[in-house]
Amino acid sequence: MRIMERATGMEEGKAGLRAGNDVPVERPAQRSGARPVSRRREGEMAEVAAKARRRAFLADRMARLGIWSLSALALSVVALVLGVILWNGLGTALSPSFLFGKPEAMREGGGIWPMVVSSFYLAALTLLMVIPLGVGAAVYMSEYAGEGRLTRLVRFGADSLSAVPSVVFGIFGMVVFVIYLDLGYSLLAGALTLTLLNLPTVMRSAEEAIRSVPVSLREAALALGCTRWETVKKAVLPVAMPGITTGAILCVGRIVGESAAVIYTVGLFVRKVPWSPLRPAAPMAANIWHMYTEGALVPDWFRVASGEAAFLLLLVLILNLAARSVAAAVRKRMGYRV
Amino acid sequence: MSSIDREWLIRRILLVAAMVVVVGLAMVVYFVAKESLPAFREAGPANLFSATWSPRDGRYGMLVFLVGTLTTAAGGLLLGTPLALSLALFLTQVAPRRSRALFARGVEILAGIPSIVLGWLGFTVLVPWIRKLSGSSGSGILAASIILAVMVMPTITAISKDALEAVPASYAQASLAVGATRWQTIWRVLLPAARPGILAAVILGMGRAVGETMAVAMVIGPASVFPTSLTTPTHTLTTKILMEMGESTGVQRSSLFAMGLVLLLLAMALVLLVRRVSRGREAYKVVE
Amino acid sequence: MTAKKTVFAVVAVAMLLLLAAGCGGGGGGAGEEEKPELSGTLNLSGSTTVLPLAQEAAEMFMDENPEVTVNVQGGGSSVGISNVAEGVVDIGNSSRDLKEEEKNLGLVDHKIALDVIAVIAHKDVPVENLTKDQVKAIFTGKITNWKEVGGPDQAIRVVIRDEASGTREMFDEKALGKEKPVAGAIECNSNGIVRQTVSSTPYSIGYISLGYLDNSVKALKYEGVTANKENAVNKTYPLSRYLHMFTKGEATGLAKAFIDFVLSERFQNEVVAKEYIPMTQV
Repeated sequence: MRIMERATGMEEGKAGLRAGNDVPVERPAQRSGARPVSRRREGEMAEVAAKARRRAFLADRMARLGIWSLSALALSVVALVLGVILWNGLGTALSPSFLFGKPEAMREGGGIWPMVVSSFYLAALTLLMVIPLGVGAAVYMSEYAGEGRLTRLVRFGADSLSAVPSVVFGIFGMVVFVIYLDLGYSLLAGALTLTLLNLPTVMRSAEEAIRSVPVSLREAALALGCTRWETVKKAVLPVAMPGITTGAILCVGRIVGESAAVIYTVGLFVRKVPWSPLRPAAPMAANIWHMYTEGALVPDWFRVASGEAAFLLLLVLILNLAARSVAAAVRKRMGYRV
Repeated sequence: MSSIDREWLIRRILLVAAMVVVVGLAMVVYFVAKESLPAFREAGPANLFSATWSPRDGRYGMLVFLVGTLTTAAGGLLLGTPLALSLALFLTQVAPRRSRALFARGVEILAGIPSIVLGWLGFTVLVPWIRKLSGSSGSGILAASIILAVMVMPTITAISKDALEAVPASYAQASLAVGATRWQTIWRVLLPAARPGILAAVILGMGRAVGETMAVAMVIGPASVFPTSLTTPTHTLTTKILMEMGESTGVQRSSLFAMGLVLLLLAMALVLLVRRVSRGREAYKVVE
Repeated sequence: MTAKKTVFAVVAVAMLLLLAAGCGGGGGGAGEEEKPELSGTLNLSGSTTVLPLAQEAAEMFMDENPEVTVNVQGGGSSVGISNVAEGVVDIGNSSRDLKEEEKNLGLVDHKIALDVIAVIAHKDVPVENLTKDQVKAIFTGKITNWKEVGGPDQAIRVVIRDEASGTREMFDEKALGKEKPVAGAIECNSNGIVRQTVSSTPYSIGYISLGYLDNSVKALKYEGVTANKENAVNKTYPLSRYLHMFTKGEATGLAKAFIDFVLSERFQNEVVAKEYIPMTQV
């Protein structure tokens, strides 16, 4: 009853609402001990009700307008961002001499190929570590763990880790991996740092994928005599794999776009394509920052940075598309939500 | 090895995997705190939280940057939350059903844009634009707030959308059945019912805004002073750490770690806050 | 002999010949006498002004000596000096001279180039020239409005470098007489950011290394002298400073080879001369 009252503002004109409709007015329900309501009172109540109704409609219309326009603004921001970045840099980004070219420290005409390779190399190294850890943790949380203190601790740990600013991860990685473990500025140091950074998200998406596997599948496996691990390995994981893959692809997008944590662990600028994971590299996201600061010695630094930003954006968009297509294709094939 | 032994071993291994986040968090806190100890020992908390940053004179006050972080985050939330909530309402209530997926995709794309790319856009487009309009340098809190608003919008939208969708359909149906308008339903029924979730969304958005580095770094100035207006340069905790860690040694470097520690504690406090707020999610249960 | 053995013998001899040729030709470029093959890793860090130069040198040096790896990082002159003193790197790059308290660290100085610091302003500033006293007063905050130096009635926005910067150190010493710049000046971490900031902040003033000068900012004359290489060489433009590579103790082995390479005529005239003044002209 309370909901209905609040919804319609019946405090303002209880009987009036009914009176406001084009329905023959009945006498409002008699309150106990009250005098019968006079016709004049009825008219007044009807007026109040009509006003309330008009106000409600006006508010509704304005709210609708407000929501539409604010949403349009929000969505146009997306279009604006994509449009401007791609407009300014796509030409450069897609030219082979730029994409596959060698970077320059002092002259014009540099390219970004080592940076592109660095980004992918870093992503590959990170995935190698974060996927097994994340999926393993997710399996534990969804299949083995109870509701006890340990579970809550793990959840708190994951939530907190995902809230830590990336620059803090960067200085942590610098102190522990670059200096303490003496890895130096290297792809490995960066991969270790990014593993920690991305672990919560991979855990979350893997857990979602695993939990969405229907119980009946698990029950069937158990009924056939599988142990819990066998169930997981043979029944649950294969079905959850597409969801996990989607999560992995999105993770690549995040790694490739990560800048602050990478600057202090991997490096900002290299001239050659990195081969060893123990040597410095220069992922694109970090290199753009470099172009904004020291790299500005190069006369065409603006063009290089714009091109790099455009290429990075394009890459992320493609990855996003890929992740979505995997999810959609699987959904069609299997019929459950992944 | 018998399958029971294997089960036991696998369970332990998976447990280790799950504990990595906890151990990782502990390590991050430990090492950041450890590196910041010299600052606390030699400069002292009074110095570290003072309003003067001048390492040459031995002053390492981070108050300027803390204020910068809080104001830019507040600005970002102020600008971004209405947009995000509208978008969430739009996606769940108002948009024609067929196009909902399309618009949701648009928000998803925004969420995936790397912060440095957004920062580059801010530097090349937003700052010159503000400069033209106001005649100032263009960088500062206003620019940072706008960029942050764009960054937190997807987060708040996604979580609010989940919160709104989680409200039982019967609420809205009951409301409409008694003759309430769409807006009255939203304002008086849906939003209050989804309030814990929306609050959680805003807090998580705040966490994102506080922790954002690259996008803000390219539009904030920088300058290690209190801003005198919305368009004068300043610094935030994250941008100061980013721009000075590579160049600092000794106590100065240690005080940057102290700033990192502050950020860490802030992040964990926000997580606890979100949990407390979400506990109220059961508030509007109705016996059906 | 069987066919197999013949083939093996031919291949072995060919490989030996190739090896000999490779060792002998390892000098590359200058076509001088044979040098022993250099190998190992060399680490440099320090000044962001020297960074591009060092990276270019590293690249060319590695091309000529494929067994060598040279890593160059930034960090600022102060970081470079402390790094090399502590043995973290082999060579510390610096765009300033050693401070008093650094003089007893046992570092050996190798000057690799002469760099010019140009005073720049936003393009809309109509002032063309500033005297030494005016520059000092502006950067220390005693003059705060452009009208005091013949410009429009606008507040001057001062842009400087960060504390670890050698460029700042030298500017503070030579142009400000070691006085402190005004509090509230915008501090930037690199020449690049200073240029960005000055080019985008109306009525701003700053200083950058000459190599970073482009037409997004306006270079001001100092005491009536234009900031360019000629004037620095003939000493009419005073705001110049050496770029250094410091080693702990005398340079030996790989470090020595690298520094020799940087100081070689070829590198100096081809690369250094682009943005800086080679030591050959000093």
